[in-house]
Amino acid sequence: MTALTFTLKSNPANKLNCGRLTPNNLRGISIAEIGNLKLSIAKNSHKIADIFKVSGKDTENIIFKKSSPQLDFIGHKMSSGSITIEGDCGDFLGANMQSGNIICQGNAGDRVGDGMRRGLILIDGSSGNYCGSRMIAGTIGVYGNTGNYTGFAMKRGTILLINPVNLHATIQDCGMHTLPFLALLFQSFKPLTTSFNRIKTLRVQRFAGDLACNGNGEILVMQD
Amino acid sequence: MRATRVIITALNLKWAYHAANTMTGFATSVIGCGVEAGIECELSTDETPDGRPGVSVLMFAMGSKVLMQQLETRMGQCILTCPTAAAFAGIKSDDQINLGKNLRYFGDGFQTSKLIAGKRYWRIPVMDGEFLVQETTGMVRAIGGGNFLVLGISQTQVLAACESAIEAMKKMSNIIMPFPGGTVRSGSKVGSKYPKMFASTNDAFCPTLKGLVNSELSNDIESVMEIVIDGLSFYDIAKAMKAGIEAACSLGCESGVKRISAGNYGGKLGPHHFNLHEILK
Repeated sequence: MTALTFTLKSNPANKLNCGRLTPNNLRGISIAEIGNLKLSIAKNSHKIADIFKVSGKDTENIIFKKSSPQLDFIGHKMSSGSITIEGDCGDFLGANMQSGNIICQGNAGDRVGDGMRRGLILIDGSSGNYCGSRMIAGTIGVYGNTGNYTGFAMKRGTILLINPVNLHATIQDCGMHTLPFLALLFQSFKPLTTSFNRIKTLRVQRFAGDLACNGNGEILVMQD
Repeated sequence: MRATRVIITALNLKWAYHAANTMTGFATSVIGCGVEAGIECELSTDETPDGRPGVSVLMFAMGSKVLMQQLETRMGQCILTCPTAAAFAGIKSDDQINLGKNLRYFGDGFQTSKLIAGKRYWRIPVMDGEFLVQETTGMVRAIGGGNFLVLGISQTQVLAACESAIEAMKKMSNIIMPFPGGTVRSGSKVGSKYPKMFASTNDAFCPTLKGLVNSELSNDIESVMEIVIDGLSFYDIAKAMKAGIEAACSLGCESGVKRISAGNYGGKLGPHHFNLHEILK
């Protein structure tokens, strides 16, 4: 069964809330019905078919094609399945996510994984500010660069970074380590199409935080 | 019986064996040790969850409660303490028992969990870095106490035959031979003249009691040793017994082995009976 695919018809002038387009929200709904749904509950919201060309049937695997930074809240509260974004996406990617995988092959906006509880978000490009803000648990990986205030108010969870990052005062450096659990984590990435499969080391610089929220979260910066 | 399998990995095989040998120490018989445990096999880096060398350990107990209790104690004292060691579930089952679920409290609040590919792992900060352990492992129904006896004309020759048998049986999967070197010299019978003893020496097979008791031994038998096998299924045990008996017998007449027998204890030991002639067909 082919993945349910949303191909953006044209780059929207305004921000669009795509929080409805998750596997758990679309399960058991036909393509025709999906096209007729409103993109959000706002009164003047567009129909999905007005914005996207909809194809495919497998609602557990969703693909966004020709994606744009105007698409916010992709994967909002998603609780199963996977979402692949072929391009850039907007703010709040995977916000309040409960489970599942999100792969972003471009750049993401601000507040990636805001308040996420479980699941995996992997971004091949860069992310904006407040990546992993208010994160409760789960895993976020950013292969490119990250903006300011990464892990702001995170309680638990792991933010995996390839490049060094400026962190705020309530994130503490725990030193260099070789962490065995990363072998399992990277093994689980193997079936996914992501740049993270290029990583060959388990060596990281570990930062714990946010100490303003107990400090049980961690930011791991990969080392050569 | 109930059984579980634990995969133990470490920096290298040496330390994986240190961990596994400690965990399976004092685990020869459920009568006195609570569990019967042993190393099933070595695992290459391709066969372990974390890509490090490891060993597979099987543990058997009379019931699920004892198995859970013994697994938790042995995990805490033998695997958590062993440098570089990590532990993972080695068997799939709907019945899940704690592997690292309660060990996590050793982390004193600094422990963290990761849910990776649907499996929950605990990362416990320890002095050598992090102890990684899966939350639970599977528990399955299993069979213990499969056995055969090697009877021969001298202690040395019977031991050599048993060593050959054990070498052949070690190549089998899903089984362990829990006694020292896989061989037991103090085979037992059910019951005793002393009321508090559940088991006592198998007098019918003790060479020095020939003439005193209703002995099973002919005049030329001077030594008897037993190989006990615990396995995940009847088929696994039967296959291992066949391999072991054939290896012992393949040494020929000059090996001093005169007879292969088995203890069925009047059928009191359990519902599974391994008839040697049928196994060897």
